Amino acid sequence: MALSRRTRSTRVLVFVLVMVSLLTITVDYRGGQSGPLELAGKAGLTIVGPMQAAVSKVVRPVGSFFSAVIHLSSLESQNKALKQRLAEANAELATTTTAVQQNEQLRKLLQLQQRLGISGPTATVIAQSLSNFEWTITIDRGSSAGVKTDMAVVSGDGLVGHVSKVSDHWSIVTLLIDPSSSVAGRLVTTGDTGLVVGERTQDMQMQLVSPGAKVDLNESVVTAGFTGSLYPPGITIGAVSHVYRSNGSLAETVAVRPAVDFSSLQFVTVVTSP
Amino acid sequence: MRRVLLWSAVILTALLLQSTIFAQIRLAGAKPDLIYLVTIALAYLEGPSSGAIAGFAGGMAEDFLLNQPKGITALTLTLLGYAVGLLRSYVASPSPFLPVLIVGGGTSVGVLFFGLVTFLLGEPVGSAAYLVRVALLTGVYNAILTPLIFPIIRRVVDASRTRRVYRW
Repeated sequence: MALSRRTRSTRVLVFVLVMVSLLTITVDYRGGQSGPLELAGKAGLTIVGPMQAAVSKVVRPVGSFFSAVIHLSSLESQNKALKQRLAEANAELATTTTAVQQNEQLRKLLQLQQRLGISGPTATVIAQSLSNFEWTITIDRGSSAGVKTDMAVVSGDGLVGHVSKVSDHWSIVTLLIDPSSSVAGRLVTTGDTGLVVGERTQDMQMQLVSPGAKVDLNESVVTAGFTGSLYPPGITIGAVSHVYRSNGSLAETVAVRPAVDFSSLQFVTVVTSP
Repeated sequence: MRRVLLWSAVILTALLLQSTIFAQIRLAGAKPDLIYLVTIALAYLEGPSSGAIAGFAGGMAEDFLLNQPKGITALTLTLLGYAVGLLRSYVASPSPFLPVLIVGGGTSVGVLFFGLVTFLLGEPVGSAAYLVRVALLTGVYNAILTPLIFPIIRRVVDASRTRRVYRW
């Protein structure tokens, strides 16, 4: 008797929790970007952001170590080339610290800003997405630094993505490789335009507007910057890594390898003014 | 009260570690998911109702840090916690590999369910093959992490159980 009552109360509990979850999904789905749950999400980000920043500071070297171990095979192939470079770099070795690397990333970022005439706050990447189905990063600048939803985010190497959620001091950036991301891109030499869509861990797909366009491997793809677009023109997206030949198709598709290494991002700039 | 605090601490720690250190470890396109691991471990040790509550709390916490329609992870983990808790009461094996198996299998099933619900809501999840691969890999990674993390959670659960008994 006692057991059956306990089982029943467990079932009621699970039922209630499932109902609350379903309700949350529905409310959030209907509410969109301005719903009450979005506000709660922002509040959550405000609370967890500082903790992530602190933990990130401590564990970044640990994570880097593991990610280095994981990429061992590709590291091996680079070993040879690096050995040669090592001789040249020996003199600099004494000063090769994290600070120098960070300096380098920041300098590239500054050069990019000057070249394109864009400006905005520079932020540190403090966390990456939790889920296997979403490609985002969390950065330590928010609305207090002028960051708004849909602003473009760049690093020294090129375009990173766009801001998708903002709280006071923290924001979440949806990366280019997220399947929900699409950017109007332009091939540098021919000027042909197309839509570059994220393909997760694979190279991005660029659907060309005009079929029969002449596309070369390793050709650079930059943002097209149409009027009303999220992204300012001329920012590097990546390079063509493969051209799919399909006869009779209405649009041609090329694979684009991102210019930015998303796994080692440390500093990014949010473009607040084009 | 003590239990609530300790469990919250476990879930928050899992969330922070997941978003910082484990987010960097993406191997063959997938990464381990600590929130799943913690939910399954708590359900395994404490039974269906505790498992459902832990899953709901962890899932909601994760959902509010994501952009996706919120509530899917909460739904998945509530059911997963409940299922694992139930399963535990039918399986009586002292084998130390049982938690590893349950965590691995539970995680894979959970990720598949998550992907299915996300797909039904019209959000992008990729092809079926991709989903299955991520589910299996996440399960394997979580199973590998189990021998490291399970003892810690067991210790926390034991600590949260001790109560003083007053008799007079």
